[in-house]
Amino acid sequence: METQVPEEFGNEVFETLKYIIDPEVGINIVDLGLVYEISLDGDKLEVNLTLTTPGCPMSGTIVTATEQILLKRFPNLDVKVNLVWSPPWSTEMITEEGMRQLEGKS
Amino acid sequence: MSTATTSNSPGKWVVLPHYAFAALAFVALSILLLFSTDAFGGHYFHPKLLTLTHVAALGWATMLIFGAMYQLLPVVLDCKLYSEKLGTIAFVFLAVGTILLAWCFWHFELGHLMHLAACSLVIAFILFNINVIQTARQAPKWTVESDFIVTSAIWLLVTGIVGLVMVLNFTMAFLPAEHTHYLKLHAHIGMAGWFLLLIIGVGSKLIPMFLLAHAEDFKKLNWSYNLINAGLVFFIFDHLFFHTALLPVYAALVVAGVILFLLFIYETSKTRQRNDVDLGMKQTFVALGLLLLPLVLVIVVSSNLNLPQQLLSSIYLVYGISVFFGFVSAIILGQTFKTLPFIVWMHAYEDYVGKFKTPLPKDLYNHSLQRWQNITYLFGFVLLITGVLLRNQQVILGGAIGFTLTAVLYTVNVFQLLLHKVQELKPFAYGNTGA
Repeated sequence: METQVPEEFGNEVFETLKYIIDPEVGINIVDLGLVYEISLDGDKLEVNLTLTTPGCPMSGTIVTATEQILLKRFPNLDVKVNLVWSPPWSTEMITEEGMRQLEGKS
Repeated sequence: MSTATTSNSPGKWVVLPHYAFAALAFVALSILLLFSTDAFGGHYFHPKLLTLTHVAALGWATMLIFGAMYQLLPVVLDCKLYSEKLGTIAFVFLAVGTILLAWCFWHFELGHLMHLAACSLVIAFILFNINVIQTARQAPKWTVESDFIVTSAIWLLVTGIVGLVMVLNFTMAFLPAEHTHYLKLHAHIGMAGWFLLLIIGVGSKLIPMFLLAHAEDFKKLNWSYNLINAGLVFFIFDHLFFHTALLPVYAALVVAGVILFLLFIYETSKTRQRNDVDLGMKQTFVALGLLLLPLVLVIVVSSNLNLPQQLLSSIYLVYGISVFFGFVSAIILGQTFKTLPFIVWMHAYEDYVGKFKTPLPKDLYNHSLQRWQNITYLFGFVLLITGVLLRNQQVILGGAIGFTLTAVLYTVNVFQLLLHKVQELKPFAYGNTGA
């Protein structure tokens, strides 16, 4: 996960995005490693995120949900969410917390 | 502001009616089975067995696969479905054709109504092929899964055309060999060409996805595709023109292809990050285990083992049962609860995600019913094949009861999902303060 924003603001963005749960896995998109990059340029907040597999039917839902949740949390910012496929998502991108949650489900 | 790429998912009305019809067909199938315990004592060319087979293959399995494919093709091929309208029209032709064909077989009416049923089914298969092939042509990247899926659709059409020719032959008798000769062809193209290739193609994409596993080596899948198709093509030409003693070799090619697929799944699943294998995936693994039974039996029935005729007849029946009531039914019972809850959830909640606390797809159906469905299924399947092998009608009836319970539990759960209504949702707490 890369951030080009002040640390405190970045943490706030990530905490907000943790409200979005991948419906199949049951883990939030941050700990699943789907959020690749966030950047802030003036009042423009840009988020690059991916999905576990190309063609995932959740693409529209997750992208829209990310936009909506960030707009609600930061109503004064212009939010842009990009769906990216490079690098392809792999299980190594799951955070320690995500792995802990996955193991906790066994 | 929004740069969101819209989802490739089709509308729910092209997908969900297939699930509803398939569930009802499964109930009808199990009830017909209750009244067919006397049909398992002889040859497989029996009106009741032909009815059961076609209700299972068309109304239950193919119907559900059509619906699931309209949802899954965009996932596997990474592009939009070519035409939702074609999907809906194909549904109507498949539904009408299946009901008419089942009626005709049960009453053994081999005339114009059966011609109409067969034509209706072939039209459904042509429309499905157009949709699959045109969707695949838009795919940004061609994969071995695409090979499996497109080829399976073509084999489905071939199966349907052979079936139509046989139906016409009932009244016109123009084919040079006896009817059962072509029935073997029809059945094997359907089982190996349609069901097997399609399930391998979709399963090799979805099973790793559901397990959070990463497939790296696709050589086994490529060889699986080549071997199964080679075995099938050799079998068709030999069966039609040459009549050699090489049938076990062709069967072995198909078996080798399936084993390579199972090895692919086994090796991929070793990299999985998810340890919480849910009931849907457990049932899927049961289905993959059950696949071993027809693999053994296809070698037995294709080899000239000089078994007593009565035993051979029973083995033929168990072979067919192990495909339609075994592997295919088991994997549908499992994968329904990996796909349908997600489809229903997406259409019900996609506008609420990020604004409200929504339930998850797994919260939309009854897990206890699903657990009992899996148990009664295994109980019913074991009793059915035991009863057929022992030629014991009481044991077969026990199997039929097991399947009826399974079908009722499954259908209750499926309709609970289909009729799901969005409940009152709580907005996220921070949103109230932050907005």
